[in-house]
Amino acid sequence: MPQGRLVAALHDLRKREIQFIVVGGLAAVLNGAPVQTFDIDLVYSCEPANVERLLRFLLEVDAIFRVQPERRLRPTESHLAGGGHLNLLTCYGPVDLLGTIGRNLDFSDLRAHSKEIDIGEGIRVLVLDLETIIAVKEELGSEKDLAVLPVLYETLREIKKKGK
Amino acid sequence: MLALKMDPEVSASERAPVPDDSGEYSESGVDLGLIRWMLSLTPLERLQFLEERINDILEIRERNAAR
Repeated sequence: MPQGRLVAALHDLRKREIQFIVVGGLAAVLNGAPVQTFDIDLVYSCEPANVERLLRFLLEVDAIFRVQPERRLRPTESHLAGGGHLNLLTCYGPVDLLGTIGRNLDFSDLRAHSKEIDIGEGIRVLVLDLETIIAVKEELGSEKDLAVLPVLYETLREIKKKGK
Repeated sequence: MLALKMDPEVSASERAPVPDDSGEYSESGVDLGLIRWMLSLTPLERLQFLEERINDILEIRERNAAR
């Protein structure tokens, strides 16, 4: 089956041994929640070696900031090391790189709340678990986050019911 | 109530009564059938389904962008 851009992006990141956790809407979908999302949200490890690998990846996938795309501003090492939120456009589509989410939870905080999921060809990615996705969205409390909560609550209930 | 068509040219599986699919919803209006269907897929299938939907939406948007 031909790979789509979402799957290809995750494969590419893993093949480059970049340390990241899939969060946000895509993580919700991978956990089984029927929600729609258009971007890839990733929390990445800010370890220098990982930042270096990530920067090389971003260069090769032609990443630019989504704000003022006509200026074609490219992310730099200091942007990544700073651990902020980078909303980027890449050849794989929109990718949001997040140093932290929620109450400053970073890669090492979230690692224990993530599970490895097989996305084909033996490639496994870390995906934030549904309980933590819900907790983060409850904490953020924006209209956008609250709107999706009923679907996430029911998905979690169904998963528990089925013992999956 | 569903009426069964007994056309002999229609296979048994096609003749099987469609279950009452008026839907099962949570109190907050969430479609539980949709959730169960998503949970029946593998993570890769979920990703591929999402991608297909995104591509469909983008294609429709593009087609209508000039209107």
